[in-house]
Amino acid sequence: MFADLRQSISDWIFRASVPETPPVTLVQRRIFILPTRQGYTFGVTTLILLVSSINYALSLGFVLTFLLMSMAGVAMLHTWRNLAHLKLRPGRCDPVFAGETAHFGITVETPSLTRFAIAARRRDEEPVYADVGIAQVASIAMPVAAARRGVMRCGRIEIFTRYPLGLFHAWSYVDFNLQVIVYPRPDTAAGAPPARSRSASEEGIPVPGDEEFHMLRPYQTGDAPKLIAWKALAREQGLLTKEFSAMASSELWIDFEEARSSNLEQRLSMLCHWVLTSDRFGQSYGLRLPGVVISPSRGEAHRTRCLEALALFHEPGAAP
Amino acid sequence: MRSLPTSPHLDVRNVMWLLAAMVFVVAPHLIRMPYWVAVFFVAIVGWRGWIAWAAMHFPGRFVTSTLTIAAAIATYFTYTRIVGREAGVTLLVVMSALKLLEMKTQREVTLSIYLGFFLVLTNFLFSQTIPLGVYMLACVWIFIGTMVGFNRVGSSPTLGERMRPAGALLIQALPLMVAFFVLFPRAAGPLWALPTDTRSGTTGLSDTMRPGNISNLIKSDAIAFRVQFQGDRPPYNTLYWRGPVLTQFDGATWSLSHDESRGNVADYARAQRPTKYTVTLEPHNKTWLFALDVPAMVPPGAILLHDLELREPARSPVRDRKRYEMVSFLDYRYGAAAHRGSLRESLRFDETRNPRTVALGRQWARESTNTREVLQKAFQYFNRDFTYTLEPPPLDSRDPYDEFLFVTKQGFCEHYAGSFALAMRAAGIPARIVTGYQGGEVNPLNNELVVRQADAHAWVEIWLAEQGWLRVDPTGAVSPLRIDGGVNAALGPIGVLPSIIAADPIGVLAGIRDAWRAMNSQWDAWVVGYSMDRQRQLFSDLGFPGIDWRALGFWLMVSTFVVGAAISIGLLVRDRPPRSEPSLVAWNRFCAKLAAAGVAPRAPYEGPLDFLRRVESSRPALAATAGDITHRYVEARYGRGASREELRELTRRVREFRAT
Repeated sequence: MFADLRQSISDWIFRASVPETPPVTLVQRRIFILPTRQGYTFGVTTLILLVSSINYALSLGFVLTFLLMSMAGVAMLHTWRNLAHLKLRPGRCDPVFAGETAHFGITVETPSLTRFAIAARRRDEEPVYADVGIAQVASIAMPVAAARRGVMRCGRIEIFTRYPLGLFHAWSYVDFNLQVIVYPRPDTAAGAPPARSRSASEEGIPVPGDEEFHMLRPYQTGDAPKLIAWKALAREQGLLTKEFSAMASSELWIDFEEARSSNLEQRLSMLCHWVLTSDRFGQSYGLRLPGVVISPSRGEAHRTRCLEALALFHEPGAAP
Repeated sequence: MRSLPTSPHLDVRNVMWLLAAMVFVVAPHLIRMPYWVAVFFVAIVGWRGWIAWAAMHFPGRFVTSTLTIAAAIATYFTYTRIVGREAGVTLLVVMSALKLLEMKTQREVTLSIYLGFFLVLTNFLFSQTIPLGVYMLACVWIFIGTMVGFNRVGSSPTLGERMRPAGALLIQALPLMVAFFVLFPRAAGPLWALPTDTRSGTTGLSDTMRPGNISNLIKSDAIAFRVQFQGDRPPYNTLYWRGPVLTQFDGATWSLSHDESRGNVADYARAQRPTKYTVTLEPHNKTWLFALDVPAMVPPGAILLHDLELREPARSPVRDRKRYEMVSFLDYRYGAAAHRGSLRESLRFDETRNPRTVALGRQWARESTNTREVLQKAFQYFNRDFTYTLEPPPLDSRDPYDEFLFVTKQGFCEHYAGSFALAMRAAGIPARIVTGYQGGEVNPLNNELVVRQADAHAWVEIWLAEQGWLRVDPTGAVSPLRIDGGVNAALGPIGVLPSIIAADPIGVLAGIRDAWRAMNSQWDAWVVGYSMDRQRQLFSDLGFPGIDWRALGFWLMVSTFVVGAAISIGLLVRDRPPRSEPSLVAWNRFCAKLAAAGVAPRAPYEGPLDFLRRVESSRPALAATAGDITHRYVEARYGRGASREELRELTRRVREFRAT
């Protein structure tokens, strides 16, 4: 509770207005700067150097002390400048399966000079560093373990730097409302989709092994390697996928009711596995969840739609 | 306060940089320390480098603590103590090496670098010359470069990417550093008592004289003091810089009188040819001050003894460079009115020692009718067959002056002065030894007279009724060149540099040497010797007499602000994002005017021509002007570009555009 209070005070101080419309430029008033622990130690060091110089009347000691002190002051400006005017945009936030590592991505551009050791981190996470060159877009991907299915929100991101001397920590906050969709963890033990569900097909029962060659179509991401027409590729006709009549004509309904388990997550995991298996075989399939029906189809977009439906099923506050 | 994540292992190249910086900064120490320190340091640093290079295991706690204890014990046995300059610095050097051996995390790296800054400071305890200053600046540069390297998380910088930012930081720090150096109020004395061996540069005359100790001093090229004359410099052979006066004599060693009664410059019976000058005295850790024979004034805080010895109070020896104004009378008469009884100390000697010298003195007295004849005999004697040499044979016997006068016949000023004074006492003439310096060297560039330890000298003062104390220099009898041309003239060049200069036919090297010495003199005066007095003097010269720490603090704040603002502006000008294109500014304004007039705002993805089409359909009345502006904008931004006039025209049209 105390942590919450502290957080809300911090939010109020740093005026976290969410979400922000990209691109966000880190203008002067958005950047905060404070000494690091090393910075404080450096201060103590120069103080001891100063006292020693006074005591031993070492003129070159004074020179050293004042040089280091002034340099720390200059370093503060350099640290601040290293962050100033950076342009931030949301980056890739690809969906993952539960149990995998998700990445919240942002892109960073510099308007003028190369910036070194720019770091981004989510609250209480390890930072990720990148150098940002002129006329180049640097991507920073913050990894996070996707433990459970649903929508994972990135929250406020801290962009910071300590370059060049590590004496100061300049930082700014940005919140693009980044989110990663986490699909259920596929339950490989679920086996093949239950056979009964295939009876809904209008054009006869597809029998496993009934793989009469039908046509070649352009390759789509996600097509199984064994369906790729390697001979066509060798003839330099491009990447084509073999389509079999049995698959083309059959329709499969993957149904929530078929997944027999008392646990909702377990059921969704089974459905997820079936979606993946069907997709891998180029099977046309539909998904039926309580309140959600996705009519049979195939391909990358369809697969994504189904997996998203599984990911967001009964997810409180899920975006449609 | 935030902590940095501890990286699993430190970047090898960064570690190597740090080790190199450490070796550089410690190198001057290693040269002057016992050799085991160098061996220990290099071995430990090499070990740490090997660990980083070959990704070896770090030594265990047992090994490091054993090494720590061993190093502490070795330091103690070398110096028989742990505190003090030499021992303290040795301890710091070995401990910083051991710290490197334990360095595993970013935080320990930082501590090691900060230790490196302390090691830079300790070098200044031993020397504050220009070459060492430049060298240490280079070391600081490498340390800063190392810090930059360690803060380049995730990428290893090149040499340039390390040294250039570090150099930029240092150069940008210079103005503020200079401001602080000039303005920071200097304290009058140490904050706490220092160990006696803290300061270097304490070679100088001692408070005793026995055959051999001045000729050792004369091998030192160190500067004793500098003199700036107001007006003409007196002739070389009158430049006797009076120091400690030695009256006590035990047969071999001359030492200071126990009588510390005060003298007074008003006691001179004759005081003519006053010479004004300023002395800048190097710290020598003793109390006496030097002045031309004889002082006509007493510097503030100093005292003048009855034997015309100038001294600081006993509890404040000269530990910092001291600058004082002086006036001397080169033609004087002093002590003529003294009662002979009060001169008893100047006649005392041990009858049992140096019997032949005593006998010689008595013989001169017997054969003479007055003191003048005694002196003549003595000078004739010393003129006969004595040799002036820097390497006199050692005199070990109980009667060193007998041995010198009758056996070796080779000696330096203290041999002549000592034996002469003893003979005078034996002859019944009060005599005492005056030590100090003779001559000096003029730098033609700034007309400054530099007096070095090599110019150390000892002469005799004898007391004659009605004349008082008179200076007698028996060394002049042996080697007149010593008095007229300095030690180099008498002995030939000493050391390597003078012999090269002696072989330099057209004087190029001598010119360089003079320029270098003048530069050193300025450096010593304004950088190394920048004390409270110097600071006050500087500000009173600038027209701010009596400046105090409050005023200095105020100006310090002002200069911090000004310099900080200048650097910030400089950094920001270089970093300003490019200004928006004028065409884009005009276009955005045009879109804003349309939006204000009720046209649905342009979507981010909507291109200008698509937007124009929408405007044409919703507001046909505006089609012509909007089309004109849009096409001008598209041409300027995406087409062949636009001249300055065309851009101005676009801006004007947008300004005149009315959407209603």
